Amino acid sequence: MQAAERRFAGTLLAPITLLYAVCLIAPISFFLAVSVFRYDPFAMYVPDLTGANFGRLVFDPYYRGIIVLTLRIALLTTIFSLLLGYPLAYFLSRTQSAWRGVLLFLVIAPLMTGVIVRTYGWIVLLGSEGLINSLLIGLGVVRRPLQMLNSEFAVVVALVHILLPYMVFPLFSALAAQDPNLERAAGTLGAGSARTFLEVTLPLSRSGILMGSVLVFTLAAGAVVTPALLGGKNVQMMGQTIYELVLRTLNWPLAAAMGSLLVLLQLSIILVYFRGGRRVVAERR
Amino acid sequence: MSSPSAADSAPMLRRAPALAEESTLRRVLRGAAPSALRIAVALIYAFLLTPILIVVLTSFSPTRSSTFPPAGFSLLWYGEFFKSASFLDAFKFSLQLGAAAAVMATAIGFASAYAIVRLLGRWRDAGQSLALLPAMIPHILISVALLLALTIIPLPDFGVLLAGHVLICLPFTIAGITASLDGIDPGLEAAARTLGASRARALWEIVVPLAAPGVLSALIFAFIVSFGDVYIALFLTGPGMTTLPIEIFSYMQWESTPVIAAITSLQIVLILVLGLVVERLVGLRHVMRF
Repeated sequence: MQAAERRFAGTLLAPITLLYAVCLIAPISFFLAVSVFRYDPFAMYVPDLTGANFGRLVFDPYYRGIIVLTLRIALLTTIFSLLLGYPLAYFLSRTQSAWRGVLLFLVIAPLMTGVIVRTYGWIVLLGSEGLINSLLIGLGVVRRPLQMLNSEFAVVVALVHILLPYMVFPLFSALAAQDPNLERAAGTLGAGSARTFLEVTLPLSRSGILMGSVLVFTLAAGAVVTPALLGGKNVQMMGQTIYELVLRTLNWPLAAAMGSLLVLLQLSIILVYFRGGRRVVAERR
Repeated sequence: MSSPSAADSAPMLRRAPALAEESTLRRVLRGAAPSALRIAVALIYAFLLTPILIVVLTSFSPTRSSTFPPAGFSLLWYGEFFKSASFLDAFKFSLQLGAAAAVMATAIGFASAYAIVRLLGRWRDAGQSLALLPAMIPHILISVALLLALTIIPLPDFGVLLAGHVLICLPFTIAGITASLDGIDPGLEAAARTLGASRARALWEIVVPLAAPGVLSALIFAFIVSFGDVYIALFLTGPGMTTLPIEIFSYMQWESTPVIAAITSLQIVLILVLGLVVERLVGLRHVMRF
């Protein structure tokens, strides 16, 4: 690169570098550092190094329960998103329909309406006078309305709905990038459609499965609004706990320790993703 | 016709219907998988779209409770929204914040995307991954970290909220503009520079007009991201500067009347119209690409 070009690149990249350094990396680093500070009710935190905050999260059954519940909800959400997202992405990547553009738009459109809109939709759907209960009572399946709101079930259903597009798009990219001749070749060589799918299509879409799963898991683990509105008192996730600790108890060190666990969780999943991704590349060679 | 050929054709004729039957059976079996897939896809679309349609239908409810099906048709809750000062203020604030965040994220995103595509060379992939950083960090952590920074350094609250929104919009604007810059022939710029234009002038007079649809769609998409955000605003809003999603969120923690449905329906219409504009301009898929 010539000096003039380097200077031009530097000028163009200066705003984003400054913004990321000052508003993203510095504050988050400091926030994570507070996780090893001591809590003080009068000064928020005192910079004495301690592992007590992490110890409390792991050994206090209340906080351990929150972490386990968060992991369970994030995992269930990821699995169901994959089960629903795969057929959808497969269909979208293979269809010759003139409606393909519209169908793709309909997957993105819900995403754009924001979290609140969709969470509210589930409150109306799952409520005791909502569509599902009206249908069940109308069909005579149940006599009294089912209590579906304020449960882990409601949170998982809504999170799957909210995060499904994040699963579909990486899957769609991976599936659309496959050479259609591979499936045809497998068919010509005598493999049935099930075997072709299991031995050709599915293994080749692994990068999409991993990317989609990482995105959905991370976003589900960090959820606040959906569990707060649909989970009731029994469902308390890590994101909500950070919110409560910061705004109600003002216990910044414990909130920071919870946040660090969230980041750690995400980093370990991204690591698995890159490992898995590398294995996929190695297999292809 | 000789007799041997007739004798040959007789068993053939007898076999033919059996063959036809077999292939029908096989065709049905083979057809079962695609039609099962089609039914599954239809059900998944129903799952995706029902909650949103329900919101719109509920907004016309004449009663207080969010009953479904609604007991009739009325515009009562739309009226309630336009009478509520707190919701209207939050709506206006969200529009202003979204517009400011979108303009800044698009300007910074364009400069960054151009440098990444044209100038970074072999560092391109690294630059692109770094640019997506805010999308990789849970947004609630960005928000809480910015609040912590505010407790130490007294900064204008609005500036910090705006910075947070610019951060979460940037991955989308950069992804979208990168895609549209990739579609522009670098030779055009080279030609302009050979003819004596400076780097900056070639950028302004050649690249910007050619990338305009991509830039415009990035602008709209950034607005949508900012307008729908709850997580950044969760810690950073205060009296006099509450975004619409946060206003709805705090209202819903106490009650949920169809006024929420009316507001969110207006939001859905606004966003669908903007989304369709982006779709027309460049195709949403390019903006969503990570």
